[in-house]
Amino acid sequence: MTRPAEDGTVLESVRRGDARALEELYRRHSPRLYALLLRMLRETADAEEILQETFVDAWRRAREYAASRGSVEAWLITIARSRAIDRIRNRGARLRLVKQSEQLAPAQPPQPEPPDVHAQTRLRRAMGTLPPEQRRAIELAYWDGMSQTEISRETGDPLGTVKTRVRLGLQRLAELLAG
Amino acid sequence: MTHQEFLDQVDAYALGALEPTEANALEQHLATEGPHPLCEAALARASETVATLAADLKPVSPPPRVWEAISQSIAQGQEPAPRKPSAPEPVARPSRATPPPARRIPAWTYGLAAAAVLALVYSGVTVRESRHSAAMASAAAAECRKELAESRIDLLRKEDAIQLLLEPGTQLVSLKPTKDAQGPLAQSTGVVIFNPRGRALFLGKSFPGQPTRDYELWLIRGGKTVAAGLLPPGPDGRVFADVRPEVFTGGHPQNFAISIEQKGGERDAPKGPVIFLGAVAAP
Repeated sequence: MTRPAEDGTVLESVRRGDARALEELYRRHSPRLYALLLRMLRETADAEEILQETFVDAWRRAREYAASRGSVEAWLITIARSRAIDRIRNRGARLRLVKQSEQLAPAQPPQPEPPDVHAQTRLRRAMGTLPPEQRRAIELAYWDGMSQTEISRETGDPLGTVKTRVRLGLQRLAELLAG
Repeated sequence: MTHQEFLDQVDAYALGALEPTEANALEQHLATEGPHPLCEAALARASETVATLAADLKPVSPPPRVWEAISQSIAQGQEPAPRKPSAPEPVARPSRATPPPARRIPAWTYGLAAAAVLALVYSGVTVRESRHSAAMASAAAAECRKELAESRIDLLRKEDAIQLLLEPGTQLVSLKPTKDAQGPLAQSTGVVIFNPRGRALFLGKSFPGQPTRDYELWLIRGGKTVAAGLLPPGPDGRVFADVRPEVFTGGHPQNFAISIEQKGGERDAPKGPVIFLGAVAAP
Protein backbone atom coordinates (compact mmCIF):
# COMPACT_ATOMS: atom_id res chain seq x y z
CA MET A 1 0.00 0.00 0.00
CA THR A 2 2.52 2.62 1.07
CA ARG A 3 6.15 3.04 0.17
CA PRO A 4 7.32 5.27 3.00
CA ALA A 5 10.97 5.50 1.93
CA GLU A 6 10.13 6.23 -1.71
CA ASP A 7 7.43 8.67 -0.70
CA GLY A 8 9.93 10.47 1.50
CA THR A 9 12.29 10.88 -1.45
CA VAL A 10 9.50 12.13 -3.68
CA LEU A 11 8.39 14.59 -1.01
CA GLU A 12 11.94 15.90 -0.80
CA SER A 13 11.66 16.80 -4.49
CA VAL A 14 8.28 18.41 -3.86
CA ARG A 15 9.93 20.55 -1.19
CA ARG A 16 12.39 21.76 -3.81
CA GLY A 17 9.51 22.86 -6.01
CA ASP A 18 9.41 19.91 -8.42
CA ALA A 19 5.85 19.79 -9.75
CA ARG A 20 6.48 16.42 -11.41
CA ALA A 21 7.23 14.96 -7.98
CA LEU A 22 3.88 16.22 -6.74
CA GLU A 23 2.26 14.57 -9.75
CA GLU A 24 3.97 11.32 -8.76
CA LEU A 25 2.60 11.62 -5.21
CA TYR A 26 -0.80 12.33 -6.70
CA ARG A 27 -0.56 9.28 -8.96
CA ARG A 28 0.32 7.09 -5.99
CA HIS A 29 -2.12 8.34 -3.40
CA SER A 30 -5.03 10.10 -5.06
CA PRO A 31 -7.13 6.94 -5.75
CA ARG A 32 -7.21 5.98 -2.09
CA LEU A 33 -7.68 9.55 -0.91
CA TYR A 34 -10.48 10.05 -3.42
CA ALA A 35 -12.19 6.86 -2.21
CA LEU A 36 -11.87 8.09 1.36
CA LEU A 37 -13.31 11.50 0.49
CA LEU A 38 -16.18 9.98 -1.48
CA ARG A 39 -17.01 7.80 1.49
CA MET A 40 -16.84 10.68 3.94
CA LEU A 41 -18.47 13.40 1.88
CA ARG A 42 -20.84 11.32 -0.30
CA GLU A 43 -20.78 13.96 -2.99
CA THR A 44 -18.50 13.76 -5.99
CA ALA A 45 -18.07 17.51 -6.39
CA ASP A 46 -17.06 17.96 -2.75
CA ALA A 47 -14.68 14.99 -2.90
CA GLU A 48 -12.98 16.38 -6.01
CA GLU A 49 -12.69 19.82 -4.48
CA ILE A 50 -11.18 18.55 -1.23
CA LEU A 51 -8.81 16.25 -3.12
CA GLN A 52 -7.66 19.24 -5.14
CA GLU A 53 -7.16 21.30 -1.99
CA THR A 54 -5.28 18.47 -0.31
CA PHE A 55 -2.57 18.33 -2.96
CA VAL A 56 -2.30 22.09 -3.32
CA ASP A 57 -1.94 22.21 0.46
CA ALA A 58 0.68 19.46 0.36
CA TRP A 59 2.60 21.47 -2.25
CA ARG A 60 2.52 24.59 -0.10
CA ARG A 61 3.23 22.85 3.20
CA ALA A 62 5.73 20.21 2.10
CA ARG A 63 8.41 21.77 4.32
CA GLU A 64 6.22 21.22 7.39
CA TYR A 65 6.13 17.46 6.93
CA ALA A 66 8.04 15.61 9.69
CA ALA A 67 8.78 11.93 9.13
CA SER A 68 8.94 11.43 12.90
CA ARG A 69 5.20 12.07 13.07
CA GLY A 70 4.12 9.52 10.47
CA SER A 71 4.40 8.46 6.83
CA VAL A 72 3.73 10.72 3.87
CA GLU A 73 0.54 8.80 3.20
CA ALA A 74 -0.66 9.33 6.78
CA TRP A 75 0.22 13.02 6.41
CA LEU A 76 -1.82 13.32 3.20
CA ILE A 77 -4.73 11.49 4.78
CA THR A 78 -4.58 13.83 7.76
CA ILE A 79 -4.76 16.87 5.48
CA ALA A 80 -7.61 15.39 3.44
CA ARG A 81 -9.62 14.26 6.47
CA SER A 82 -9.12 17.54 8.26
CA ARG A 83 -10.57 19.44 5.32
CA ALA A 84 -13.35 16.91 4.84
CA ILE A 85 -14.31 17.18 8.51
CA ASP A 86 -14.50 20.96 8.17
CA ARG A 87 -16.79 20.49 5.20
CA ILE A 88 -19.00 17.99 7.07
CA ARG A 89 -19.29 20.26 10.09
CA ASN A 90 -20.21 23.19 7.88
CA ARG A 91 -22.89 21.10 6.28
CA GLY A 92 -24.75 20.96 9.58
CA ALA A 93 -25.41 24.65 9.30
CA ARG A 94 -25.97 24.36 5.57
CA LEU A 95 -28.58 21.66 5.97
CA ARG A 96 -30.46 23.75 8.49
CA LEU A 97 -30.72 26.56 5.94
CA VAL A 98 -31.62 24.21 3.10
CA LYS A 99 -34.35 22.69 5.26
CA GLN A 100 -35.73 26.13 5.94
CA SER A 101 -35.57 27.01 2.26
CA GLU A 102 -37.45 23.86 1.27
CA GLN A 103 -40.50 25.34 2.92
CA LEU A 104 -40.40 28.00 0.22
CA ALA A 105 -39.16 26.13 -2.84
CA PRO A 106 -41.27 23.34 -4.28
CA ALA A 107 -38.57 20.77 -4.94
CA GLN A 108 -34.83 20.27 -4.73
CA PRO A 109 -32.81 18.14 -7.13
CA PRO A 110 -31.93 14.75 -5.66
CA GLN A 111 -28.53 14.35 -4.06
CA PRO A 112 -26.05 12.03 -5.74
CA GLU A 113 -26.10 8.50 -4.43
CA PRO A 114 -23.16 7.56 -2.25
CA PRO A 115 -20.62 5.59 -4.22
CA ASP A 116 -20.20 1.88 -3.69
CA VAL A 117 -17.26 1.18 -1.43
CA HIS A 118 -16.00 -2.18 -0.28
CA ALA A 119 -14.18 -2.37 2.99
CA GLN A 120 -11.56 -5.06 2.97
CA THR A 121 -11.90 -8.06 5.22
CA ARG A 122 -8.81 -7.37 7.27
CA LEU A 123 -10.10 -4.08 8.57
CA ARG A 124 -13.56 -5.53 9.10
CA ARG A 125 -12.08 -8.36 11.12
CA ALA A 126 -10.12 -5.92 13.24
CA MET A 127 -13.13 -3.67 13.69
CA GLY A 128 -15.23 -6.73 14.44
CA THR A 129 -13.14 -7.57 17.46
CA LEU A 130 -13.81 -4.19 19.06
CA PRO A 131 -16.67 -3.83 21.53
CA PRO A 132 -19.63 -2.36 19.60
CA GLU A 133 -19.59 0.91 21.49
CA GLN A 134 -15.88 1.48 20.75
CA ARG A 135 -16.44 0.63 17.08
CA ARG A 136 -19.37 3.01 16.84
CA ALA A 137 -17.43 5.86 18.45
CA ILE A 138 -14.55 5.41 15.98
CA GLU A 139 -16.88 5.12 13.00
CA LEU A 140 -18.80 8.25 13.95
CA ALA A 141 -15.53 10.17 14.26
CA TYR A 142 -13.87 8.69 11.20
CA TRP A 143 -16.62 8.62 8.61
CA ASP A 144 -19.01 11.25 9.87
CA GLY A 145 -16.38 13.69 11.08
CA MET A 146 -17.93 14.00 14.53
CA SER A 147 -16.01 15.38 17.47
CA GLN A 148 -16.10 13.51 20.77
CA THR A 149 -18.55 16.10 22.07
CA GLU A 150 -20.84 15.47 19.10
CA ILE A 151 -20.54 11.71 19.56
CA SER A 152 -21.53 12.12 23.20
CA ARG A 153 -24.56 14.11 22.12
CA GLU A 154 -25.42 11.60 19.39
CA THR A 155 -25.13 8.48 21.56
CA GLY A 156 -26.23 9.96 24.87
CA ASP A 157 -23.09 8.64 26.56
CA PRO A 158 -21.04 10.83 28.91
CA LEU A 159 -18.19 12.69 27.23
CA GLY A 160 -15.60 10.99 29.43
CA THR A 161 -16.89 7.59 28.37
CA VAL A 162 -16.70 8.55 24.71
CA LYS A 163 -13.12 9.75 25.14
CA THR A 164 -12.14 6.46 26.74
CA ARG A 165 -13.83 4.46 23.98
CA VAL A 166 -12.04 6.41 21.25
CA ARG A 167 -8.66 6.03 22.94
CA LEU A 168 -8.98 2.34 23.79
CA GLY A 169 -10.59 1.48 20.47
CA LEU A 170 -7.92 3.13 18.37
CA GLN A 171 -5.13 1.66 20.45
CA ARG A 172 -6.66 -1.80 20.09
CA LEU A 173 -7.01 -1.29 16.34
CA ALA A 174 -3.38 -0.21 16.13
CA GLU A 175 -2.34 -3.49 17.75
CA LEU A 176 -4.60 -5.59 15.55
CA LEU A 177 -3.72 -3.91 12.29
CA ALA A 178 -0.01 -3.92 13.05
CA GLY A 179 -0.08 -7.63 13.87
CA MET B 1 -0.14 20.50 28.69
CA THR B 2 1.84 17.58 30.08
CA HIS B 3 3.17 14.71 28.01
CA GLN B 4 0.63 12.41 29.67
CA GLU B 5 -2.23 14.72 28.74
CA PHE B 6 -0.96 14.71 25.18
CA LEU B 7 -0.74 10.92 25.13
CA ASP B 8 -4.28 10.64 26.52
CA GLN B 9 -5.68 12.69 23.65
CA VAL B 10 -3.45 11.85 20.73
CA ASP B 11 -5.72 9.10 19.38
CA ALA B 12 -8.71 11.37 19.28
CA TYR B 13 -6.50 14.04 17.71
CA ALA B 14 -5.35 11.74 14.92
CA LEU B 15 -8.95 10.73 14.36
CA GLY B 16 -10.00 14.36 14.06
CA ALA B 17 -12.39 13.95 17.00
CA LEU B 18 -11.13 16.82 19.15
CA GLU B 19 -12.74 20.20 19.34
CA PRO B 20 -10.64 22.92 17.66
CA THR B 21 -9.42 24.36 20.97
CA GLU B 22 -8.33 20.92 22.19
CA ALA B 23 -6.55 20.20 18.91
CA ASN B 24 -4.78 23.57 19.10
CA ALA B 25 -3.53 22.74 22.59
CA LEU B 26 -1.95 19.52 21.33
CA GLU B 27 -0.34 21.30 18.41
CA GLN B 28 0.98 23.96 20.74
CA HIS B 29 2.46 21.29 22.97
CA LEU B 30 4.40 19.77 20.08
CA ALA B 31 5.44 23.14 18.70
CA THR B 32 6.62 24.87 21.83
CA GLU B 33 7.35 22.48 24.67
CA GLY B 34 9.75 20.07 22.96
CA PRO B 35 11.52 17.81 22.48
CA HIS B 36 8.85 15.10 22.51
CA PRO B 37 10.13 11.78 21.24
CA LEU B 38 7.38 9.84 23.02
CA CYS B 39 4.62 12.20 21.97
CA GLU B 40 5.82 12.21 18.36
CA ALA B 41 6.03 8.43 18.32
CA ALA B 42 2.49 8.20 19.72
CA LEU B 43 1.25 10.64 17.11
CA ALA B 44 2.96 8.67 14.34
CA ARG B 45 1.41 5.44 15.55
CA ALA B 46 -2.08 6.96 15.85
CA SER B 47 -1.78 8.62 12.42
CA GLU B 48 -0.72 5.35 10.81
CA THR B 49 -3.67 3.54 12.40
CA VAL B 50 -6.06 6.17 11.13
CA ALA B 51 -4.45 5.97 7.68
CA THR B 52 -4.88 2.21 7.74
CA LEU B 53 -8.61 2.63 8.24
CA ALA B 54 -8.71 4.26 4.81
CA ALA B 55 -6.34 1.77 3.25
CA ASP B 56 -9.00 -0.88 3.07
CA LEU B 57 -11.23 1.19 0.85
CA LYS B 58 -11.33 0.21 -2.80
CA PRO B 59 -9.29 2.88 -4.63
CA VAL B 60 -11.19 5.09 -7.06
CA SER B 61 -9.36 7.04 -9.77
CA PRO B 62 -10.35 10.69 -9.69
CA PRO B 63 -11.30 12.32 -13.00
CA PRO B 64 -8.42 13.97 -14.91
CA ARG B 65 -9.86 17.44 -14.28
CA VAL B 66 -8.79 17.24 -10.63
CA TRP B 67 -5.10 16.99 -11.44
CA GLU B 68 -5.50 19.62 -14.16
CA ALA B 69 -6.94 22.00 -11.58
CA ILE B 70 -4.15 21.23 -9.09
CA SER B 71 -1.52 21.71 -11.78
CA GLN B 72 -3.06 25.01 -12.80
CA SER B 73 -3.24 26.24 -9.19
CA ILE B 74 0.39 25.40 -8.60
CA ALA B 75 1.48 27.06 -11.81
CA GLN B 76 -0.33 30.20 -10.78
CA GLY B 77 0.92 29.96 -7.20
CA GLN B 78 -2.68 30.08 -6.02
CA GLU B 79 -5.21 28.20 -3.99
CA PRO B 80 -7.67 26.04 -5.95
CA ALA B 81 -10.16 28.30 -7.66
CA PRO B 82 -13.36 27.11 -5.91
CA ARG B 83 -11.95 27.94 -2.50
CA LYS B 84 -10.69 31.38 -3.32
CA PRO B 85 -10.89 33.80 -1.63
CA SER B 86 -10.72 32.48 1.93
CA ALA B 87 -13.50 34.82 2.99
CA PRO B 88 -16.23 36.08 0.74
CA GLU B 89 -15.20 39.23 -0.98
CA PRO B 90 -17.37 42.19 -0.04
CA VAL B 91 -19.73 42.89 -2.86
CA ALA B 92 -21.53 45.94 -1.68
CA ARG B 93 -19.72 48.66 -3.49
CA PRO B 94 -20.44 51.39 -5.95
CA SER B 95 -21.48 49.51 -9.04
CA ARG B 96 -19.05 51.53 -11.11
CA ALA B 97 -16.63 54.31 -10.44
CA THR B 98 -17.51 55.81 -13.79
CA PRO B 99 -20.24 54.63 -16.12
CA PRO B 100 -19.24 52.91 -19.37
CA PRO B 101 -19.33 55.16 -22.41
CA ALA B 102 -22.24 53.34 -24.03
CA ARG B 103 -24.41 53.76 -21.01
CA ARG B 104 -26.97 56.49 -21.10
CA ILE B 105 -28.10 58.10 -17.88
CA PRO B 106 -31.81 59.06 -18.00
CA ALA B 107 -32.46 62.74 -18.13
CA TRP B 108 -34.51 62.67 -14.92
CA THR B 109 -31.47 61.64 -12.95
CA TYR B 110 -29.74 64.78 -14.09
CA GLY B 111 -32.74 66.70 -12.82
CA LEU B 112 -32.36 65.09 -9.41
CA ALA B 113 -28.66 65.70 -9.47
CA ALA B 114 -29.29 69.31 -10.31
CA ALA B 115 -31.68 69.56 -7.37
CA ALA B 116 -29.06 68.03 -5.11
CA VAL B 117 -26.47 70.46 -6.39
CA LEU B 118 -28.85 73.35 -5.76
CA ALA B 119 -29.44 72.16 -2.20
CA LEU B 120 -25.74 71.91 -1.60
CA VAL B 121 -25.07 75.31 -3.12
CA TYR B 122 -27.67 76.78 -0.79
CA SER B 123 -25.98 75.20 2.20
CA GLY B 124 -22.70 76.68 0.96
CA VAL B 125 -24.27 80.11 0.71
CA THR B 126 -25.50 79.76 4.27
CA VAL B 127 -21.99 78.97 5.35
CA ARG B 128 -20.62 82.03 3.57
CA GLU B 129 -23.31 84.33 4.87
CA SER B 130 -22.70 83.29 8.44
CA ARG B 131 -19.08 84.40 7.98
CA HIS B 132 -17.57 81.29 9.47
CA SER B 133 -13.88 80.89 9.40
CA ALA B 134 -12.12 79.87 6.19
CA ALA B 135 -11.24 76.52 7.70
CA MET B 136 -14.84 75.76 8.48
CA ALA B 137 -15.90 76.81 5.01
CA SER B 138 -13.28 74.54 3.56
CA ALA B 139 -14.51 71.62 5.66
CA ALA B 140 -18.07 72.31 4.62
CA ALA B 141 -17.02 72.43 0.99
CA ALA B 142 -15.33 69.05 1.36
CA GLU B 143 -18.49 67.71 2.94
CA CYS B 144 -20.50 69.12 0.07
CA ARG B 145 -18.23 67.47 -2.45
CA LYS B 146 -18.59 64.17 -0.61
CA GLU B 147 -22.35 64.41 -0.51
CA LEU B 148 -22.43 65.36 -4.14
CA ALA B 149 -20.31 62.33 -5.03
CA GLU B 150 -22.57 60.09 -2.96
CA SER B 151 -25.65 61.49 -4.64
CA ARG B 152 -24.08 60.73 -7.97
CA ILE B 153 -23.32 57.15 -6.91
CA ASP B 154 -26.83 56.73 -5.61
CA LEU B 155 -28.28 57.83 -8.91
CA LEU B 156 -26.04 55.46 -10.81
CA ARG B 157 -27.11 52.62 -8.54
CA LYS B 158 -30.76 53.35 -9.16
CA GLU B 159 -30.13 53.49 -12.86
CA ASP B 160 -28.30 50.18 -12.67
CA ALA B 161 -31.25 48.56 -10.90
CA ILE B 162 -33.73 49.96 -13.40
CA GLN B 163 -31.66 48.75 -16.34
CA LEU B 164 -31.50 45.26 -14.85
CA LEU B 165 -35.25 45.23 -14.16
CA LEU B 166 -35.89 46.05 -17.80
CA GLU B 167 -33.79 43.17 -19.11
CA PRO B 168 -35.71 40.11 -20.38
CA GLY B 169 -36.09 37.32 -17.84
CA THR B 170 -35.35 39.47 -14.80
CA GLN B 171 -37.36 38.64 -11.71
CA LEU B 172 -37.81 40.40 -8.43
CA VAL B 173 -37.18 38.01 -5.54
CA SER B 174 -38.73 39.36 -2.39
CA LEU B 175 -36.99 38.13 0.75
CA LYS B 176 -39.28 37.32 3.68
CA PRO B 177 -38.16 37.75 7.29
CA THR B 178 -37.74 34.53 9.27
CA LYS B 179 -38.52 34.08 12.94
CA ASP B 180 -34.94 35.17 13.66
CA ALA B 181 -35.55 38.63 12.20
CA GLN B 182 -36.39 40.19 15.53
CA GLY B 183 -36.24 43.68 17.02
CA PRO B 184 -35.25 46.39 14.53
CA LEU B 185 -34.69 43.70 11.88
CA ALA B 186 -38.43 43.12 11.76
CA GLN B 187 -38.64 46.50 9.98
CA SER B 188 -36.01 45.58 7.38
CA THR B 189 -36.95 44.75 3.82
CA GLY B 190 -34.87 43.26 1.03
CA VAL B 191 -35.23 42.23 -2.61
CA VAL B 192 -32.91 40.61 -5.09
CA ILE B 193 -33.21 41.72 -8.69
CA PHE B 194 -32.10 38.58 -10.45
CA ASN B 195 -31.50 37.90 -14.10
CA PRO B 196 -30.84 34.25 -15.01
CA ARG B 197 -28.09 35.31 -17.37
CA GLY B 198 -25.97 35.80 -14.29
CA ARG B 199 -26.55 39.25 -12.89
CA ALA B 200 -28.14 40.18 -9.57
CA LEU B 201 -28.43 43.20 -7.33
CA PHE B 202 -29.54 43.26 -3.73
CA LEU B 203 -31.46 46.24 -2.41
CA GLY B 204 -32.27 46.50 1.27
CA LYS B 205 -33.86 49.06 3.55
CA SER B 206 -33.77 49.67 7.30
CA PHE B 207 -30.91 47.27 8.03
CA PRO B 208 -29.56 48.18 11.48
CA GLY B 209 -25.78 48.53 11.63
CA GLN B 210 -23.92 45.55 13.13
CA PRO B 211 -20.66 46.82 14.66
CA THR B 212 -19.22 43.36 15.28
CA ARG B 213 -20.95 41.27 12.64
CA ASP B 214 -21.81 41.27 8.95
CA TYR B 215 -24.89 40.53 6.93
CA GLU B 216 -24.15 37.85 4.34
CA LEU B 217 -26.13 36.92 1.24
CA TRP B 218 -26.43 33.26 0.24
CA LEU B 219 -27.87 31.46 -2.69
CA ILE B 220 -29.14 27.91 -2.42
CA ARG B 221 -28.84 25.60 -5.38
CA GLY B 222 -29.36 21.84 -5.47
CA GLY B 223 -29.28 21.57 -1.71
CA LYS B 224 -25.97 23.46 -1.44
CA THR B 225 -25.31 26.94 -0.14
CA VAL B 226 -23.08 29.39 -1.98
CA ALA B 227 -21.72 32.49 -0.28
CA ALA B 228 -22.76 35.44 -2.44
CA GLY B 229 -21.09 38.27 -0.52
CA LEU B 230 -21.43 40.65 2.38
CA LEU B 231 -24.15 43.29 2.63
CA PRO B 232 -22.86 46.26 4.61
CA PRO B 233 -25.63 48.78 5.27
CA GLY B 234 -25.03 52.48 4.82
CA PRO B 235 -25.50 54.97 7.67
CA ASP B 236 -29.15 55.31 6.62
CA GLY B 237 -29.70 51.53 6.84
CA ARG B 238 -29.89 51.10 3.10
CA VAL B 239 -28.00 48.30 1.37
CA PHE B 240 -27.07 48.12 -2.28
CA ALA B 241 -24.94 45.20 -3.37
CA ASP B 242 -23.83 44.00 -6.77
CA VAL B 243 -23.69 40.20 -6.50
CA ARG B 244 -20.56 38.66 -8.01
CA PRO B 245 -21.58 37.02 -11.30
CA GLU B 246 -19.38 33.95 -10.74
CA VAL B 247 -21.69 32.67 -8.01
CA PHE B 248 -24.27 31.96 -10.70
CA THR B 249 -22.01 29.82 -12.88
CA GLY B 250 -23.15 26.62 -11.12
CA GLY B 251 -26.73 27.01 -12.35
CA HIS B 252 -30.07 28.53 -11.46
CA PRO B 253 -30.54 29.16 -7.71
CA GLN B 254 -33.69 28.04 -5.91
CA ASN B 255 -33.44 30.53 -3.06
CA PHE B 256 -31.68 33.56 -1.70
CA ALA B 257 -31.08 33.99 2.01
CA ILE B 258 -29.42 36.46 4.37
CA SER B 259 -27.70 35.52 7.59
CA ILE B 260 -25.83 37.43 10.28
CA GLU B 261 -22.24 36.23 10.56
CA GLN B 262 -19.03 37.09 12.29
CA LYS B 263 -16.96 39.83 10.61
CA GLY B 264 -15.83 38.74 7.16
CA GLY B 265 -18.63 36.21 6.75
CA GLU B 266 -18.55 32.46 6.26
CA ARG B 267 -17.28 30.51 3.28
CA ASP B 268 -19.40 27.41 2.96
CA ALA B 269 -22.54 27.74 5.00
CA PRO B 270 -24.16 30.21 7.38
CA LYS B 271 -23.32 29.70 11.02
CA GLY B 272 -25.32 32.61 12.35
CA PRO B 273 -29.09 33.16 12.30
CA VAL B 274 -30.80 33.25 8.92
CA ILE B 275 -32.99 36.33 8.92
CA PHE B 276 -34.38 36.46 5.37
CA LEU B 277 -35.37 33.85 2.79
CA GLY B 278 -36.83 34.14 -0.69
CA ALA B 279 -37.70 31.65 -3.43
CA VAL B 280 -36.58 32.14 -7.03
CA ALA B 281 -39.01 31.16 -9.77
CA ALA B 282 -37.93 28.25 -11.96
CA PRO B 283 -36.31 29.27 -15.27
